[in-house]
Amino acid sequence: MRPSRAAYPMRWRVMDSLERIAGLLWPRSFSAGLPYLMLLPALLLVGVLVWGLVEIGDSSLRTLDTSTFLMSENYTLANYQRALNERFFTTVAGRSLMGSLIVTVITLVFAFPYSYLMVRTPSSALRKFLLVALFLPFFIGQVVRAYGWLIILGNQGMVNEALGLVGVSPIRLLYNYPAVLFGLVQYMLPFAVLMLAPAMTAIPAELESAASSLGANWISTFRHIVLPLSKPGLVGAGLVVFTLSLTDFAIPAILGGGSQDFIANAIYDQFFRTSDQGMGATLSLLLVAVGSILVGLVFMVFGAGTLAMGGDRK
Amino acid sequence: MTQFAGISIDKIGRGAAEVPTESVQGNSMSAAPAGVPQQETAAAAAVSVKRVSKVFGDVHAVREASFDLPKGRFLTILGPSGSGKTTLLRMIAGFDAPTAGDIYIGGQPVKAVPPHKRAIGMVFQKLALFPHMTAAENVAFPLKMRRHDARTIPQKVERYLELVRLGGYGKRRINELSGGQQQRVAIARALVFEPDLLLLDEPLAALDRKLREEMQLEFRRIQKELGVTTINVTHDQREALVVSDEIVVMDGGEIQQMAQPVHTYRTPANAFVANFIGVTNFLEGPVVETSDEAIVLSVGGMRVNGAAGGTARVPSQGELAAGALRAEQIRIAPTVQGFSGLGNVVNGEVRDAIFEGERIVYEVGVPELGGAVLRVFDHDAESHQQFGPGDSVALGWNAKDMYIFKK
Repeated sequence: MRPSRAAYPMRWRVMDSLERIAGLLWPRSFSAGLPYLMLLPALLLVGVLVWGLVEIGDSSLRTLDTSTFLMSENYTLANYQRALNERFFTTVAGRSLMGSLIVTVITLVFAFPYSYLMVRTPSSALRKFLLVALFLPFFIGQVVRAYGWLIILGNQGMVNEALGLVGVSPIRLLYNYPAVLFGLVQYMLPFAVLMLAPAMTAIPAELESAASSLGANWISTFRHIVLPLSKPGLVGAGLVVFTLSLTDFAIPAILGGGSQDFIANAIYDQFFRTSDQGMGATLSLLLVAVGSILVGLVFMVFGAGTLAMGGDRK
Repeated sequence: MTQFAGISIDKIGRGAAEVPTESVQGNSMSAAPAGVPQQETAAAAAVSVKRVSKVFGDVHAVREASFDLPKGRFLTILGPSGSGKTTLLRMIAGFDAPTAGDIYIGGQPVKAVPPHKRAIGMVFQKLALFPHMTAAENVAFPLKMRRHDARTIPQKVERYLELVRLGGYGKRRINELSGGQQQRVAIARALVFEPDLLLLDEPLAALDRKLREEMQLEFRRIQKELGVTTINVTHDQREALVVSDEIVVMDGGEIQQMAQPVHTYRTPANAFVANFIGVTNFLEGPVVETSDEAIVLSVGGMRVNGAAGGTARVPSQGELAAGALRAEQIRIAPTVQGFSGLGNVVNGEVRDAIFEGERIVYEVGVPELGGAVLRVFDHDAESHQQFGPGDSVALGWNAKDMYIFKK
């Protein structure tokens, strides 16, 4: 029976014919393969990365011949031995790991009240202000921000000038370990807040009211309710901050002034200063390995936090 | 009856909401008819709310609310959404501070007391159980926070889990419990520290009907067993009637009536209460005659006999008034025979007949009453003839069953 004109409006007809054409071009039996097809670009990208990693692995097994500046033909583990034994490399590694840990802890301590206030404040104006203040630094690159700190903290910088007004002679605020950590914390804070805020949004405000009606003051409410329930956010934020700090280049380079190198700076020097590709590749692989192992450990102990995208069981 | 409240009453009552409602302030229990047992009124009030108002911006959420609740009683604050009932409860709990007025708990003013220092157990709308704790840990939480002797805590927790019939479920995580079981954990948690007052903020609203009715009886049982003074907030009139010793009806931030369930239902204080509880027909018209007991309205030219309703001023002659008539108070028959004793008898035509199982609901158009459509319940369907749309029927009701409110 042919449907009447009124019962079969134009829009339906257009959609139906489009579906028919789509059916001819891409039969229904193909549709099972569609998700895999969509995965293809990602697989390609990862494939290129894996290929690069294999190449790096290859060069990490060759040493630099300092007389010819060519890579050796035979494979050797000499680079790895140097990386693990030479004082310079272990110092850099220790400095990076310790620094990242300190940065992670301080950043989380600062980010927690910020995200809590942002999520819980009844004033939408304050929430918007906090959000804008959070995103503003993203518009300014890391390098520009590091130079900004040079202007503020330098020997003729604003801080020292202000101190000079009250008769304090200039203090060396830059090119030391605290300066690098300070710069990193300032850089990481928005990332941590962005990771923490969703986890806190997921805690119903009613739970805090309930805790207070059950006799908990705000400290107990924080300790027994808010903190444990923010754990996924803390784990996620901690992982992001830690890995980003561990692999950071610009902040240690600019605020450390070459005296406070992190692993990434050492790698850069190997590749572009001494042209020792082999050693650079070795350090890169060791950084990837250490980072992966630490992240893996955290996943095993605490779960994946918000990074699990709701797939975690705990 | 529950599912009927609020449905198409406007159609029948021709905008009952327009009827201005007279607020009944203070302890209107005294407004209940004489002969009502008034035990315990002499005892000290467990909760006393005195002229409490709450203003958010330019919205008056609660306006001059006052009531006294004797110890051990179960009070329900009943009202539609936006009536200020939850705001009032939150002020009693201490989450919001009143803009004006005072609240006394156990005779003490609580203005300066933060929530965690008030001895109030509260069951929240979404239960607010702590998801990272087991059922037992949830119940133990208030005891730990209130620094009870750690050795007695497990015993108390188990005792209260048994009280809510969850003995042995303590080790379960919250998400491993069903909706009803979670509900029970929330009750146990709110009661375990033996609070002076239990507040229920619509905790049953999210449950399906069967479970909700079961939990209503459960609340009543536990409340009677422990004798804890309880304030419940709900928009469910059936729940209010089932569980409460007292009902406070609120609308527009004002208390409309405070009375025992029977009186709230049988003798509503004003048109709002009459409309909100039960299924009520409204007939409007000018008053043509008043005497001590009876008031006669002229509805669509027909004289309708009623009785003065509520505590508001009795409308005088010539004033516009509304007569409220419960759907179950109207008798329906094929002819007027047998309606001789009734004060009002009219003829009408069935517009619709809705079979609801235990009763049949008729919508009857009555030309004599200016075309008003009355909703009529017929509970004894079997012995009667069943009418269909288009059938001519006779309706009759007692004059004393129709309350006339000032319009």
